[in-house]
Amino acid sequence: MLQTVAPLLMDALANAALIFFVAFGLTLTFSVLRILNVAHGSFYSIGAYVAASAGLFIVGAGLNPWLTYPSLILSAAAVAALFGPLVEKTLVRWTYGRGEAVQILMTFGLFLILEDLQRMVFGVNSLYEDTPMALLGITEIGGVVYLNYQILLIALAALTLVGLRIFIRHTRTGRLLHVVVADREVSEAMGIDTGRMFTLAFTLGVFLAALGGALATPTTGVAPGLGAETMVLAFAVAAIGGLGQVEGAALAAVIVAAARVLAIYFAPELDAVAPYLVMLVVLLVRPYGLFGKAAVRRI
Amino acid sequence: MRLPTLRSLLLATALAAAPSAHAADKPASLGLGVFTFLSGPAAAYGLPGKQGAELIIEQINAEGGIGGVPVAATFVDEAQGAEGVISEYRRLAESDSVEAMIAALSSGNCLALSPLATQLQMPTIAWNCDTHQLFLKDASSYYFRPNGNTVAEFVAYVVYFLEQHPDVQRVAIINPDYAFGHDAASIVKAALAALKPDVEIVAELFPKLGAATYQTEISRLSASRPDVIFSNLWGGDLENFVRQATPRGLFRQSTVVLALGETVLQSTDLPEGTIVGVLGDGWWRSPDAQRIGKAEAFAEAYEEKYGSYPVFPTMKMANSILVLKAAYEKAIEANGGEWPSQEQVAEALKGLTVETMTGDVTLREDNDGVVDQVIGTVGSEGDLPSIADMARFDGAALLPPAGEDPIAWIETLTPAFLEGQPKPGSYQ
Repeated sequence: MLQTVAPLLMDALANAALIFFVAFGLTLTFSVLRILNVAHGSFYSIGAYVAASAGLFIVGAGLNPWLTYPSLILSAAAVAALFGPLVEKTLVRWTYGRGEAVQILMTFGLFLILEDLQRMVFGVNSLYEDTPMALLGITEIGGVVYLNYQILLIALAALTLVGLRIFIRHTRTGRLLHVVVADREVSEAMGIDTGRMFTLAFTLGVFLAALGGALATPTTGVAPGLGAETMVLAFAVAAIGGLGQVEGAALAAVIVAAARVLAIYFAPELDAVAPYLVMLVVLLVRPYGLFGKAAVRRI
Repeated sequence: MRLPTLRSLLLATALAAAPSAHAADKPASLGLGVFTFLSGPAAAYGLPGKQGAELIIEQINAEGGIGGVPVAATFVDEAQGAEGVISEYRRLAESDSVEAMIAALSSGNCLALSPLATQLQMPTIAWNCDTHQLFLKDASSYYFRPNGNTVAEFVAYVVYFLEQHPDVQRVAIINPDYAFGHDAASIVKAALAALKPDVEIVAELFPKLGAATYQTEISRLSASRPDVIFSNLWGGDLENFVRQATPRGLFRQSTVVLALGETVLQSTDLPEGTIVGVLGDGWWRSPDAQRIGKAEAFAEAYEEKYGSYPVFPTMKMANSILVLKAAYEKAIEANGGEWPSQEQVAEALKGLTVETMTGDVTLREDNDGVVDQVIGTVGSEGDLPSIADMARFDGAALLPPAGEDPIAWIETLTPAFLEGQPKPGSYQ
């Protein structure tokens, strides 16, 4: 029994860890800025491209291969520092208070621009950089060989979940974000710099997307189109969990991953549609997602 | 009765004195539309094809072109999707700057372009697409494929691995989720059912084209404990799969058959024992290519120009252009040395046999190509990637007769079919 269940569980958690970062970044951006950022997937792929390029540079220059680990985090931070404030202050801010159609059109336009930008900068061929994965070795679980890097990724996702919960609920900045989400006008009346909070939340969202992409590179390939693929999945996860819910995004990531893994193991023909079937069922039963509430602002 | 006027008599005389109505003026250059993947994961397969076209055209032009006319190629990226490919094909065909097409790489695009070639009367060579469905329904008088199709290609793989591993009991399949992958799975399953009926298919996976990760599929394959894993993943997908599956021990656990494995021999460390082929006759260590004596010089020139040795899509592209060249030369000769019309070029392609750089190819009555299939096993000889234990299968013996349902034909095979086939290591 354990021989059968252990690989299923391991695959579901490993898949969930890959989706969690980008899905939570999306849900955070929506909850604070009230904008559905279609370009969010591009930040995932840019994070992946930058991390893969940095890793290839480290290996090519003959530097200590363990430097590829901090380079994953630093790559995501660099992407967030460059794109977060720039995009929020120049483009996203312009859409505040406008209709959802304008917001979606603007972010979709941004997505197309960023996709072409990636082709110009990184080319059209796939990039592979798996040094961090190779450094950690393998472990056999239930008769199936797994990468220790996959186990590390699960642990990192769990730590990030706890860390984000502490940040949002127990730090001053997190509480300010909470207040802005609850009532933007009252927050401004109380003297909270909501513009700064928006920039911070958007940049944090970009960082989480880029981090997801960077952490994925040692076990996946990076090629044009990665952003769109990730974006659709992140939307499904965010919708299932309830937009704006940390725990919701985590649980939804596990549910979506489990659905996909079960499909691959037992009904491969449903592999592509499994996450969206789950989304359909959840939204039919709970239109605001598993953790969402109809009348309350969420974070 | 009205008598002919002087004007109409002069016109009739002028027409009678003109060369054949089919002949055309010799152009300043022979425009070729060349369709391949130039971006995205499929570019890993498509770019070597483009480079093969560039080099062979350069060599043809250095020798005086075709019938004294230099060749000029216009490249089109198939990554834009079928709609864009069709519109580019139509635009080029109607522009008068192109006389023939080399199109396309993707089977889906070939299925779309075949009727268009007939409609626009544009001689077109399908340089890569493998689907056996291409000529099943609609006969095209302008569309030709001087390559083997999926039936010959994948039946050859089944024969090879059954000969190399006669005790195989459990087989798993992982192919891309579109016609090429599903067709290959149907052919492999039908061939196994006919040639070794006791084999069990323990997993059948179809990840989507361009998937970034195969980790769950690798777990599923590993958990199903197959003796042999068959895959026709290609391009960036294949490279991705190999890089992800190797550290997880999949190649140690099972014998892996990578139908398009030769394309990644130079870019990945394919484990020894992996069965790979070239979906045709290829050039690596090929005695026939050495006998013909052109492939090695082409490969060296390619290496000098692009920094790596050609892979089989390179050779398929170059060979396809050589087939078109042979058709033009045949048509020019049949036309008394005059430049041929597109109709005459298409006519010349029918039933044509050409010695390419890697062997003979014959276009049979349904315009499909008969090409031998070379398959081998990854070895470790020398610095360059090595294919050992090669077998060269007769292309004609692995193809169903024109117009016959391919799966029904495969079902007529019996285990005795294996006895007449070449053995691994027999092609040296």
